[in-house]
Amino acid sequence: MTEVFSIDPLIIKNDYYIEYRHSYGKTSPFFTNLAKGKIMATHCEHCNKTYLPPRNDCPECLRETKWVEISGKGTIHTFSTMYFAGEKFLKDVPFYLAYVELEGVDTLFLTRIKTKNPEKLKIGMKIKLKTARDPEWRATDVWAEPDE
Amino acid sequence: MVAGGVTYFSKARKDKTQEELVAEAARMALYDNDINLDKSEIDGSVTGYFSDHFEQQLKFGAIITDYLGLNPKSHVRIEGGGATGGLAIREGYAQVASGLLDVVMVIGFEKMSEVNTAKGNEFIALASDTDFDFPVGGYYSGYYALMARRHMEEFGTTEEQMAMVAVKNRNNAQHNKFAQTNPKMNPYGMKDGGSIKVEDVLKSPYIAYPLKRLDICLMSDGASVAILASEEKAKKITDTPVWITGSGAGSDAMRAGDRPRDKKSLPLLPHEKPEWYKNLDYPGVHSFRAGREAARQAYKMAGITNPLKQLDVIELHDAYTSSEIQTYEDLGLAKYGDGGKLVQEGQTLVDGEVAVNPSGGLIGNMHAVGATGIMQAVEVFWQLQGVAGKFHGSDKTQVKGAETGLIHSHAGTGTYVTVSVLRR
Repeated sequence: MTEVFSIDPLIIKNDYYIEYRHSYGKTSPFFTNLAKGKIMATHCEHCNKTYLPPRNDCPECLRETKWVEISGKGTIHTFSTMYFAGEKFLKDVPFYLAYVELEGVDTLFLTRIKTKNPEKLKIGMKIKLKTARDPEWRATDVWAEPDE
Repeated sequence: MVAGGVTYFSKARKDKTQEELVAEAARMALYDNDINLDKSEIDGSVTGYFSDHFEQQLKFGAIITDYLGLNPKSHVRIEGGGATGGLAIREGYAQVASGLLDVVMVIGFEKMSEVNTAKGNEFIALASDTDFDFPVGGYYSGYYALMARRHMEEFGTTEEQMAMVAVKNRNNAQHNKFAQTNPKMNPYGMKDGGSIKVEDVLKSPYIAYPLKRLDICLMSDGASVAILASEEKAKKITDTPVWITGSGAGSDAMRAGDRPRDKKSLPLLPHEKPEWYKNLDYPGVHSFRAGREAARQAYKMAGITNPLKQLDVIELHDAYTSSEIQTYEDLGLAKYGDGGKLVQEGQTLVDGEVAVNPSGGLIGNMHAVGATGIMQAVEVFWQLQGVAGKFHGSDKTQVKGAETGLIHSHAGTGTYVTVSVLRR
Protein backbone atom coordinates (compact mmCIF):
# COMPACT_ATOMS: atom_id res chain seq x y z
CA MET A 1 0.00 0.00 0.00
CA THR A 2 1.34 3.42 -0.92
CA GLU A 3 1.58 5.72 2.08
CA VAL A 4 -0.40 8.94 1.43
CA PHE A 5 0.34 12.15 3.36
CA SER A 6 -2.13 14.52 1.70
CA ILE A 7 -4.82 14.49 -1.01
CA ASP A 8 -4.65 18.12 -2.23
CA PRO A 9 -1.91 18.38 -3.29
CA LEU A 10 -1.49 14.61 -3.47
CA ILE A 11 1.68 13.71 -1.53
CA ILE A 12 2.89 10.10 -1.40
CA LYS A 13 5.88 8.30 0.11
CA ASN A 14 8.77 7.13 -2.09
CA ASP A 15 12.02 5.57 -0.93
CA TYR A 16 15.25 4.43 -2.49
CA TYR A 17 18.14 2.34 -1.19
CA ILE A 18 21.54 1.97 -2.85
CA GLU A 19 24.42 -0.36 -1.99
CA TYR A 20 27.84 0.72 -3.20
CA ARG A 21 31.00 -1.43 -3.53
CA HIS A 22 33.42 1.37 -2.85
CA SER A 23 37.16 1.05 -3.64
CA TYR A 24 39.70 3.17 -1.80
CA GLY A 25 42.06 2.52 -4.71
CA LYS A 26 45.68 3.48 -4.05
CA THR A 27 44.79 5.07 -0.71
CA SER A 28 43.84 1.59 0.61
CA PRO A 29 47.13 1.21 2.57
CA PHE A 30 46.13 4.18 4.73
CA PHE A 31 43.12 2.23 6.00
CA THR A 32 44.80 -1.20 6.22
CA ASN A 33 47.75 0.30 8.16
CA LEU A 34 45.39 1.96 10.64
CA ALA A 35 44.28 -1.55 11.52
CA LYS A 36 47.95 -2.23 12.45
CA GLY A 37 48.12 0.93 14.53
CA LYS A 38 50.25 2.79 11.97
CA ILE A 39 49.47 6.22 10.56
CA MET A 40 50.68 6.57 7.01
CA ALA A 41 50.83 9.66 4.84
CA THR A 42 52.03 10.16 1.28
CA HIS A 43 55.16 12.12 0.41
CA CYS A 44 56.23 13.69 -2.88
CA GLU A 45 60.02 13.53 -3.10
CA HIS A 46 60.09 16.05 -5.93
CA CYS A 47 58.04 18.76 -4.18
CA ASN A 48 59.06 17.69 -0.65
CA LYS A 49 55.42 17.76 0.47
CA THR A 50 53.56 15.31 2.66
CA TYR A 51 49.85 14.83 2.30
CA LEU A 52 47.24 13.54 4.71
CA PRO A 53 44.58 12.58 3.63
CA PRO A 54 46.88 10.62 1.33
CA ARG A 55 47.12 11.14 -2.42
CA ASN A 56 48.72 8.67 -4.82
CA ASP A 57 49.53 11.55 -7.14
CA CYS A 58 51.12 14.84 -6.07
CA PRO A 59 48.74 17.70 -6.99
CA GLU A 60 51.69 20.06 -7.54
CA CYS A 61 53.75 18.03 -10.03
CA LEU A 62 51.55 14.97 -10.76
CA ARG A 63 54.39 12.58 -9.96
CA GLU A 64 53.51 9.52 -7.87
CA THR A 65 53.99 9.85 -4.11
CA LYS A 66 55.53 7.39 -1.62
CA TRP A 67 54.12 6.16 1.68
CA VAL A 68 55.76 7.43 4.88
CA GLU A 69 54.85 6.65 8.47
CA ILE A 70 54.13 9.68 10.66
CA SER A 71 54.14 10.06 14.42
CA GLY A 72 50.50 11.15 14.63
CA LYS A 73 51.51 13.91 17.04
CA GLY A 74 50.31 17.41 16.42
CA THR A 75 48.23 20.37 17.54
CA ILE A 76 44.67 21.62 17.12
CA HIS A 77 44.45 24.19 14.31
CA THR A 78 40.72 24.80 14.86
CA PHE A 79 37.89 22.78 16.42
CA SER A 80 34.16 22.87 17.00
CA THR A 81 31.39 21.07 18.84
CA MET A 82 28.71 19.53 16.62
CA TYR A 83 25.26 19.83 18.17
CA PHE A 84 23.55 18.80 14.93
CA ALA A 85 24.65 16.69 11.95
CA GLY A 86 23.59 14.98 8.76
CA GLU A 87 21.03 12.23 9.27
CA LYS A 88 23.68 9.52 9.49
CA PHE A 89 25.48 11.13 12.45
CA LEU A 90 22.59 12.60 14.45
CA LYS A 91 22.96 9.73 16.92
CA ASP A 92 26.54 10.86 17.73
CA VAL A 93 25.87 14.48 18.79
CA PRO A 94 27.40 16.26 20.54
CA PHE A 95 30.81 15.39 19.10
CA TYR A 96 34.01 17.34 18.41
CA LEU A 97 35.63 17.92 15.04
CA ALA A 98 39.03 19.50 14.49
CA TYR A 99 41.49 20.32 11.80
CA VAL A 100 44.82 19.19 13.23
CA GLU A 101 48.37 20.14 12.26
CA LEU A 102 50.47 16.97 12.28
CA GLU A 103 54.24 16.60 12.60
CA GLY A 104 55.76 16.14 9.15
CA VAL A 105 52.50 16.80 7.28
CA ASP A 106 51.85 19.87 5.11
CA THR A 107 48.05 19.65 4.99
CA LEU A 108 45.51 19.89 7.80
CA PHE A 109 43.70 16.68 8.75
CA LEU A 110 40.02 16.66 9.70
CA THR A 111 39.27 14.27 12.53
CA ARG A 112 37.12 13.75 15.59
CA ILE A 113 38.52 14.57 19.01
CA LYS A 114 37.68 12.16 21.79
CA THR A 115 38.08 13.59 25.27
CA LYS A 116 36.50 13.39 28.69
CA ASN A 117 37.29 17.10 29.22
CA PRO A 118 35.89 18.95 26.19
CA GLU A 119 35.94 22.24 28.10
CA LYS A 120 39.77 22.09 28.03
CA LEU A 121 40.02 21.89 24.22
CA LYS A 122 41.72 24.91 22.67
CA ILE A 123 43.50 25.98 19.53
CA GLY A 124 47.20 25.03 19.78
CA MET A 125 46.53 22.14 22.21
CA LYS A 126 48.78 19.11 21.68
CA ILE A 127 47.02 16.01 20.37
CA LYS A 128 47.94 12.52 19.26
CA LEU A 129 46.14 10.38 16.71
CA LYS A 130 44.76 7.07 17.98
CA THR A 131 43.63 4.10 15.93
CA ALA A 132 40.78 1.65 16.40
CA ARG A 133 41.49 -1.89 17.60
CA ASP A 134 38.54 -3.22 15.61
CA PRO A 135 38.64 -1.50 12.24
CA GLU A 136 35.52 -0.41 10.38
CA TRP A 137 37.75 0.45 7.37
CA ARG A 138 36.56 4.04 7.47
CA ALA A 139 38.10 7.42 8.36
CA THR A 140 36.60 6.98 11.84
CA ASP A 141 39.25 4.28 12.48
CA VAL A 142 41.52 7.20 13.41
CA TRP A 143 40.82 10.10 15.78
CA ALA A 144 42.65 12.59 17.97
CA GLU A 145 42.99 12.68 21.75
CA PRO A 146 44.55 15.44 23.88
CA ASP A 147 48.26 14.77 24.52
CA GLU A 148 49.14 17.17 27.32
CA MET B 1 20.54 41.01 -18.99
CA VAL B 2 17.05 42.01 -20.05
CA ALA B 3 14.63 40.30 -17.67
CA GLY B 4 14.36 38.41 -14.40
CA GLY B 5 11.79 36.46 -12.45
CA VAL B 6 11.57 34.56 -9.18
CA THR B 7 9.01 32.51 -7.28
CA TYR B 8 7.79 33.01 -3.78
CA PHE B 9 10.37 31.09 -1.76
CA SER B 10 9.34 28.70 0.96
CA LYS B 11 10.55 25.87 3.18
CA ALA B 12 8.04 23.73 1.28
CA ARG B 13 6.09 24.66 -1.85
CA LYS B 14 3.95 21.54 -1.80
CA ASP B 15 1.35 23.36 -3.90
CA LYS B 16 3.41 23.07 -7.09
CA THR B 17 5.78 20.64 -8.78
CA GLN B 18 9.31 21.71 -9.62
CA GLU B 19 8.44 22.48 -13.25
CA GLU B 20 5.37 24.46 -12.16
CA LEU B 21 7.59 26.56 -9.90
CA VAL B 22 9.99 27.19 -12.79
CA ALA B 23 7.04 28.31 -14.94
CA GLU B 24 6.04 30.76 -12.18
CA ALA B 25 9.48 32.41 -12.35
CA ALA B 26 9.71 32.26 -16.17
CA ARG B 27 6.27 33.87 -16.53
CA MET B 28 7.41 36.75 -14.32
CA ALA B 29 10.57 37.17 -16.41
CA LEU B 30 8.58 37.28 -19.65
CA TYR B 31 5.54 39.31 -18.61
CA ASP B 32 6.33 41.43 -15.54
CA ASN B 33 9.51 43.08 -16.84
CA ASP B 34 9.08 46.00 -19.23
CA ILE B 35 10.37 44.22 -22.35
CA ASN B 36 9.61 43.70 -25.98
CA LEU B 37 10.43 40.01 -26.34
CA ASP B 38 8.38 37.12 -27.64
CA LYS B 39 9.09 33.74 -26.08
CA SER B 40 9.83 32.36 -29.55
CA GLU B 41 12.89 34.67 -29.75
CA ILE B 42 14.66 32.68 -27.02
CA ASP B 43 17.40 30.67 -28.73
CA GLY B 44 18.20 28.27 -25.94
CA SER B 45 18.36 27.63 -22.23
CA VAL B 46 20.74 26.81 -19.41
CA THR B 47 19.40 25.05 -16.33
CA GLY B 48 21.16 25.09 -12.99
CA TYR B 49 20.20 22.63 -10.28
CA PHE B 50 22.39 21.01 -7.68
CA SER B 51 21.19 17.59 -6.61
CA ASP B 52 19.33 14.84 -8.39
CA HIS B 53 18.70 13.28 -4.97
CA PHE B 54 16.21 15.85 -3.71
CA GLU B 55 13.55 14.70 -6.12
CA GLN B 56 14.87 11.32 -7.22
CA GLN B 57 14.76 12.58 -10.79
CA LEU B 58 17.82 12.66 -13.01
CA LYS B 59 18.05 14.89 -16.09
CA PHE B 60 15.43 17.29 -14.77
CA GLY B 61 16.54 19.80 -17.40
CA ALA B 62 14.70 17.81 -20.05
CA ILE B 63 11.45 18.12 -18.10
CA ILE B 64 12.01 21.87 -17.79
CA THR B 65 12.70 22.59 -21.48
CA ASP B 66 9.61 20.57 -22.36
CA TYR B 67 7.41 22.21 -19.72
CA LEU B 68 8.49 25.73 -20.74
CA GLY B 69 8.04 24.95 -24.44
CA LEU B 70 11.71 25.59 -25.26
CA ASN B 71 12.23 22.44 -27.36
CA PRO B 72 13.94 21.76 -29.76
CA LYS B 73 16.39 24.57 -28.95
CA SER B 74 19.83 24.37 -27.35
CA HIS B 75 20.02 23.35 -23.69
CA VAL B 76 22.71 22.47 -21.17
CA ARG B 77 22.56 21.65 -17.46
CA ILE B 78 25.11 23.24 -15.14
CA GLU B 79 25.93 21.84 -11.71
CA GLY B 80 28.43 23.28 -9.29
CA GLY B 81 27.08 22.84 -5.74
CA GLY B 82 26.19 26.16 -4.13
CA ALA B 83 27.73 28.04 -7.07
CA THR B 84 25.43 26.33 -9.57
CA GLY B 85 23.45 29.52 -10.17
CA GLY B 86 26.50 31.71 -10.66
CA LEU B 87 28.07 29.16 -12.99
CA ALA B 88 24.81 28.95 -14.98
CA ILE B 89 24.80 32.75 -15.38
CA ARG B 90 28.44 32.58 -16.51
CA GLU B 91 27.57 29.83 -19.01
CA GLY B 92 24.65 31.86 -20.38
CA TYR B 93 26.92 34.90 -20.60
CA ALA B 94 29.58 32.87 -22.44
CA GLN B 95 27.03 31.52 -24.93
CA VAL B 96 25.82 35.03 -25.74
CA ALA B 97 29.22 36.74 -25.64
CA SER B 98 30.69 34.10 -27.95
CA GLY B 99 27.94 34.72 -30.48
CA LEU B 100 26.68 31.15 -30.19
CA LEU B 101 23.18 32.30 -29.21
CA ASP B 102 21.45 35.70 -29.19
CA VAL B 103 18.94 35.21 -26.37
CA VAL B 104 19.36 32.70 -23.54
CA MET B 105 17.03 31.86 -20.68
CA VAL B 106 19.04 30.91 -17.58
CA ILE B 107 16.91 28.87 -15.21
CA GLY B 108 17.73 27.81 -11.65
CA PHE B 109 15.67 25.65 -9.33
CA GLU B 110 15.70 23.29 -6.37
CA LYS B 111 12.94 21.64 -4.38
CA MET B 112 14.57 20.59 -1.13
CA SER B 113 11.44 19.87 0.90
CA GLU B 114 10.75 16.36 -0.36
CA VAL B 115 13.28 14.98 2.13
CA ASN B 116 13.63 15.86 5.84
CA THR B 117 16.10 18.57 6.92
CA ALA B 118 18.72 16.12 8.28
CA LYS B 119 18.58 14.11 5.04
CA GLY B 120 18.87 17.36 3.08
CA ASN B 121 21.93 18.26 5.14
CA GLU B 122 23.32 14.82 4.37
CA PHE B 123 22.85 15.30 0.60
CA ILE B 124 24.65 18.62 0.85
CA ALA B 125 27.37 16.94 2.96
CA LEU B 126 27.81 14.37 0.18
CA ALA B 127 29.12 17.36 -1.80
CA SER B 128 32.18 17.20 0.44
CA ASP B 129 34.89 14.50 0.42
CA THR B 130 33.10 11.21 1.13
CA ASP B 131 36.24 9.17 1.95
CA PHE B 132 37.76 11.40 4.63
CA ASP B 133 35.53 14.33 5.64
CA PHE B 134 31.91 13.14 5.52
CA PRO B 135 32.53 9.77 7.30
CA VAL B 136 33.85 11.39 10.49
CA GLY B 137 30.59 13.33 10.80
CA GLY B 138 31.55 16.26 8.63
CA TYR B 139 28.77 18.42 7.21
CA TYR B 140 28.64 21.97 6.02
CA SER B 141 27.67 23.78 9.22
CA GLY B 142 30.52 21.86 10.86
CA TYR B 143 33.08 22.81 8.21
CA TYR B 144 32.00 26.47 8.37
CA ALA B 145 32.13 26.41 12.16
CA LEU B 146 35.74 25.20 12.01
CA MET B 147 36.59 27.95 9.53
CA ALA B 148 34.73 30.59 11.56
CA ARG B 149 36.56 29.65 14.75
CA ARG B 150 39.88 30.00 12.97
CA HIS B 151 38.77 33.38 11.60
CA MET B 152 37.96 34.44 15.19
CA GLU B 153 41.37 33.19 16.38
CA GLU B 154 43.26 34.79 13.51
CA PHE B 155 41.47 38.16 13.36
CA GLY B 156 39.38 38.60 16.51
CA THR B 157 36.04 38.34 14.73
CA THR B 158 33.18 38.02 17.24
CA GLU B 159 29.87 36.17 17.49
CA GLU B 160 28.17 39.58 17.85
CA GLN B 161 29.57 40.69 14.47
CA MET B 162 28.28 37.49 12.90
CA ALA B 163 24.88 38.09 14.52
CA MET B 164 24.81 41.57 12.93
CA VAL B 165 24.99 39.93 9.50
CA ALA B 166 21.99 37.74 10.36
CA VAL B 167 20.03 40.75 11.62
CA LYS B 168 20.83 42.83 8.52
CA ASN B 169 19.88 40.11 6.05
CA ARG B 170 16.85 38.80 7.88
CA ASN B 171 15.50 42.30 8.40
CA ASN B 172 16.11 43.29 4.76
CA ALA B 173 14.01 40.25 3.83
CA GLN B 174 11.05 41.70 5.73
CA HIS B 175 10.60 44.16 2.84
CA ASN B 176 10.90 41.55 0.07
CA LYS B 177 7.62 39.77 -0.57
CA PHE B 178 9.34 36.72 -2.10
CA ALA B 179 11.45 36.02 1.01
CA GLN B 180 10.95 32.83 2.96
CA THR B 181 11.40 34.57 6.33
CA ASN B 182 8.75 37.21 5.51
CA PRO B 183 5.41 35.84 6.72
CA LYS B 184 3.69 39.23 6.39
CA MET B 185 4.17 39.55 2.63
CA ASN B 186 4.91 36.00 1.41
CA PRO B 187 1.86 33.72 1.45
CA TYR B 188 4.24 30.73 1.72
CA GLY B 189 6.54 32.40 4.29
CA MET B 190 7.83 30.91 7.55
CA LYS B 191 5.27 31.39 10.29
CA ASP B 192 8.04 32.01 12.83
CA GLY B 193 9.88 34.40 10.49
CA GLY B 194 9.87 38.18 10.90
CA SER B 195 12.48 40.64 12.01
CA ILE B 196 15.14 39.76 14.59
CA LYS B 197 17.64 41.43 16.94
CA VAL B 198 21.26 40.60 17.76
CA GLU B 199 20.14 39.04 21.09
CA ASP B 200 17.80 36.65 19.22
CA VAL B 201 20.71 35.36 17.16
CA LEU B 202 22.98 35.02 20.19
CA LYS B 203 20.24 33.16 22.10
CA SER B 204 19.38 30.78 19.26
CA PRO B 205 20.67 27.23 19.78
CA TYR B 206 24.18 26.26 18.70
CA ILE B 207 24.38 23.99 15.66
CA ALA B 208 28.20 23.87 15.62
CA TYR B 209 30.09 26.41 17.73
CA PRO B 210 30.25 29.38 16.97
CA LEU B 211 27.36 29.00 14.51
CA LYS B 212 23.84 29.17 15.85
CA ARG B 213 20.56 28.44 14.14
CA LEU B 214 20.06 32.08 13.09
CA ASP B 215 23.62 32.31 11.68
CA ILE B 216 22.77 29.66 9.10
CA CYS B 217 21.03 30.00 5.75
CA LEU B 218 17.65 28.65 4.76
CA MET B 219 16.77 25.54 2.80
CA SER B 220 14.15 26.39 0.22
CA ASP B 221 11.88 25.40 -2.60
CA GLY B 222 11.80 27.78 -5.52
CA ALA B 223 13.06 28.87 -8.90
CA SER B 224 14.56 31.91 -10.58
CA VAL B 225 15.02 32.92 -14.20
CA ALA B 226 17.27 35.44 -15.94
CA ILE B 227 17.13 36.30 -19.62
CA LEU B 228 20.41 37.31 -21.25
CA ALA B 229 20.75 38.78 -24.73
CA SER B 230 23.43 40.06 -27.06
CA GLU B 231 24.10 43.80 -27.05
CA GLU B 232 22.22 44.37 -30.30
CA LYS B 233 19.22 42.26 -29.24
CA ALA B 234 19.18 43.68 -25.70
CA LYS B 235 18.77 47.24 -26.99
CA LYS B 236 15.71 46.15 -28.99
CA ILE B 237 14.20 44.23 -26.07
CA THR B 238 14.44 46.97 -23.45
CA ASP B 239 15.41 50.62 -22.96
CA THR B 240 17.05 49.71 -19.65
CA PRO B 241 19.27 46.65 -20.15
CA VAL B 242 21.82 45.79 -17.48
CA TRP B 243 25.28 44.95 -18.78
CA ILE B 244 27.44 42.13 -17.46
CA THR B 245 30.81 43.88 -17.56
CA GLY B 246 32.91 41.35 -15.68
CA SER B 247 32.83 37.62 -15.04
CA GLY B 248 35.27 35.61 -12.94
CA ALA B 249 35.43 32.08 -11.61
CA GLY B 250 37.78 30.41 -9.16
CA SER B 251 38.29 26.98 -7.63
CA ASP B 252 39.86 25.34 -4.61
CA ALA B 253 40.43 22.00 -2.87
CA MET B 254 37.40 19.91 -1.94
CA ARG B 255 38.86 19.37 1.53
CA ALA B 256 39.45 22.77 3.11
CA GLY B 257 42.38 21.27 5.04
CA ASP B 258 44.25 20.71 1.78
CA ARG B 259 44.33 24.41 0.92
CA PRO B 260 47.73 26.09 1.22
CA ARG B 261 48.80 28.07 4.26
CA ASP B 262 51.62 30.25 3.05
CA LYS B 263 52.55 33.81 2.14
CA LYS B 264 52.72 33.43 -1.61
CA SER B 265 49.22 32.14 -2.40
CA LEU B 266 47.44 35.49 -2.01
CA PRO B 267 46.54 37.30 -5.25
CA LEU B 268 46.30 41.02 -4.48
CA LEU B 269 43.48 43.22 -5.76
CA PRO B 270 44.37 46.55 -7.42
CA HIS B 271 43.80 48.69 -4.29
CA GLU B 272 45.71 46.39 -1.92
CA LYS B 273 49.30 46.73 -0.72
CA PRO B 274 51.59 43.74 -0.12
CA GLU B 275 52.64 45.06 3.32
CA TRP B 276 49.03 44.70 4.59
CA TYR B 277 49.37 40.94 4.54
CA LYS B 278 53.04 40.19 5.15
CA ASN B 279 52.12 38.09 8.22
CA LEU B 280 49.08 36.37 6.71
CA ASP B 281 49.18 32.67 5.87
CA TYR B 282 46.74 32.29 3.01
CA PRO B 283 44.11 31.08 2.40
CA GLY B 284 44.27 28.59 5.28
CA VAL B 285 40.82 27.65 6.45
CA HIS B 286 39.90 31.25 7.30
CA SER B 287 39.60 32.63 3.75
CA PHE B 288 38.36 31.63 0.31
CA ARG B 289 41.05 31.72 -2.36
CA ALA B 290 38.50 30.85 -5.09
CA GLY B 291 36.40 33.91 -4.17
CA ARG B 292 39.46 36.14 -4.25
CA GLU B 293 40.49 34.74 -7.64
CA ALA B 294 36.98 35.14 -9.10
CA ALA B 295 36.87 38.74 -7.86
CA ARG B 296 40.32 39.48 -9.26
CA GLN B 297 39.26 38.30 -12.73
CA ALA B 298 35.89 40.06 -12.69
CA TYR B 299 37.35 43.36 -11.38
CA LYS B 300 40.05 43.33 -14.04
CA MET B 301 37.48 42.81 -16.78
CA ALA B 302 35.05 45.40 -15.42
CA GLY B 303 37.66 48.00 -14.44
CA ILE B 304 36.94 47.85 -10.70
CA THR B 305 39.95 49.25 -8.85
CA ASN B 306 38.29 50.19 -5.55
CA PRO B 307 35.40 47.80 -4.90
CA LEU B 308 34.04 49.42 -1.73
CA LYS B 309 33.70 52.79 -3.47
CA GLN B 310 32.73 51.62 -6.95
CA LEU B 311 30.17 48.96 -6.09
CA ASP B 312 26.74 50.13 -4.96
CA VAL B 313 24.96 46.83 -4.38
CA ILE B 314 26.06 43.23 -3.85
CA GLU B 315 24.16 39.99 -3.51
CA LEU B 316 26.63 37.55 -1.97
CA HIS B 317 26.43 33.93 -0.89
CA ASP B 318 25.76 34.26 2.86
CA ALA B 319 25.45 30.52 3.55
CA TYR B 320 26.64 31.48 7.03
CA THR B 321 27.00 34.84 8.73
CA SER B 322 30.68 34.02 9.13
CA SER B 323 31.10 33.39 5.40
CA GLU B 324 29.56 36.78 4.56
CA ILE B 325 32.27 38.35 6.73
CA GLN B 326 34.97 36.15 5.16
CA THR B 327 33.69 37.09 1.71
CA TYR B 328 33.83 40.87 2.40
CA GLU B 329 37.58 40.31 2.72
CA ASP B 330 37.93 38.08 -0.34
CA LEU B 331 36.07 40.68 -2.41
CA GLY B 332 38.36 43.41 -1.10
CA LEU B 333 35.57 45.39 0.61
CA ALA B 334 37.66 45.25 3.78
CA LYS B 335 41.22 44.20 4.58
CA TYR B 336 41.66 40.59 5.72
CA GLY B 337 40.63 40.65 9.35
CA ASP B 338 38.44 43.74 9.05
CA GLY B 339 35.31 42.02 7.68
CA GLY B 340 33.61 41.97 11.07
CA LYS B 341 34.17 45.71 11.48
CA LEU B 342 32.56 46.42 8.09
CA VAL B 343 29.21 45.03 9.21
CA GLN B 344 29.60 46.50 12.70
CA GLU B 345 30.04 49.98 11.20
CA GLY B 346 26.83 49.50 9.19
CA GLN B 347 28.66 49.90 5.89
CA THR B 348 26.80 46.99 4.27
CA LEU B 349 23.26 48.12 5.18
CA VAL B 350 20.86 49.11 2.37
CA ASP B 351 21.85 52.77 2.89
CA GLY B 352 25.51 51.99 3.72
CA GLU B 353 28.64 52.42 1.59
CA VAL B 354 27.78 49.23 -0.31
CA ALA B 355 24.47 47.45 0.26
CA VAL B 356 25.06 43.73 0.76
CA ASN B 357 22.13 41.36 0.39
CA PRO B 358 19.28 43.87 0.26
CA SER B 359 17.05 40.95 -0.83
CA GLY B 360 17.79 39.18 2.45
CA GLY B 361 20.32 36.83 0.87
CA LEU B 362 20.47 33.15 1.71
CA ILE B 363 19.76 33.88 5.39
CA GLY B 364 16.67 36.02 4.89
CA ASN B 365 15.40 35.40 1.38
CA MET B 366 16.09 31.87 0.18
CA HIS B 367 18.57 29.12 -0.59
CA ALA B 368 17.02 26.80 -3.13
CA VAL B 369 20.53 25.82 -4.20
CA GLY B 370 20.38 25.91 -8.03
CA ALA B 371 18.12 28.97 -7.98
CA THR B 372 20.26 31.02 -5.61
CA GLY B 373 22.91 32.48 -7.92
CA ILE B 374 20.26 33.33 -10.49
CA MET B 375 18.08 34.97 -7.82
CA GLN B 376 21.14 37.14 -7.06
CA ALA B 377 21.38 38.16 -10.73
CA VAL B 378 17.66 38.99 -10.82
CA GLU B 379 17.90 41.02 -7.61
CA VAL B 380 20.89 43.08 -8.76
CA PHE B 381 19.25 43.52 -12.18
CA TRP B 382 16.13 45.01 -10.54
CA GLN B 383 18.31 47.15 -8.26
CA LEU B 384 20.20 48.63 -11.20
CA GLN B 385 16.97 49.24 -13.11
CA GLY B 386 15.62 50.97 -9.99
CA VAL B 387 12.58 48.68 -9.84
CA ALA B 388 13.47 46.50 -6.82
CA GLY B 389 10.77 48.21 -4.77
CA LYS B 390 8.12 47.52 -7.38
CA PHE B 391 8.93 43.81 -7.43
CA HIS B 392 9.49 43.46 -3.68
CA GLY B 393 6.30 45.28 -2.76
CA SER B 394 8.22 47.80 -0.61
CA ASP B 395 10.55 50.65 -1.55
CA LYS B 396 12.77 50.00 1.49
CA THR B 397 15.00 47.52 -0.32
CA GLN B 398 15.90 49.79 -3.24
CA VAL B 399 19.48 51.03 -3.14
CA LYS B 400 19.14 54.67 -4.23
CA GLY B 401 20.88 55.48 -7.47
CA ALA B 402 22.59 52.11 -7.77
CA GLU B 403 24.72 51.99 -10.92
CA THR B 404 27.15 49.13 -10.39
CA GLY B 405 26.43 45.80 -8.73
CA LEU B 406 28.09 42.48 -8.04
CA ILE B 407 26.87 38.93 -7.61
CA HIS B 408 28.88 36.29 -5.79
CA SER B 409 28.01 32.59 -5.98
CA HIS B 410 29.89 30.09 -3.81
CA ALA B 411 30.07 26.31 -3.49
CA GLY B 412 31.34 23.88 -0.88
CA THR B 413 33.96 25.22 1.50
CA GLY B 414 34.93 27.57 -1.33
CA THR B 415 35.51 24.96 -4.04
CA TYR B 416 33.90 26.94 -6.84
CA VAL B 417 33.17 30.64 -6.65
CA THR B 418 31.90 32.97 -9.36
CA VAL B 419 31.79 36.76 -9.31
CA SER B 420 30.01 38.89 -11.91
CA VAL B 421 29.93 42.66 -12.17
CA LEU B 422 26.74 44.22 -13.53
CA ARG B 423 26.28 47.82 -14.65
CA ARG B 424 23.28 49.96 -15.50
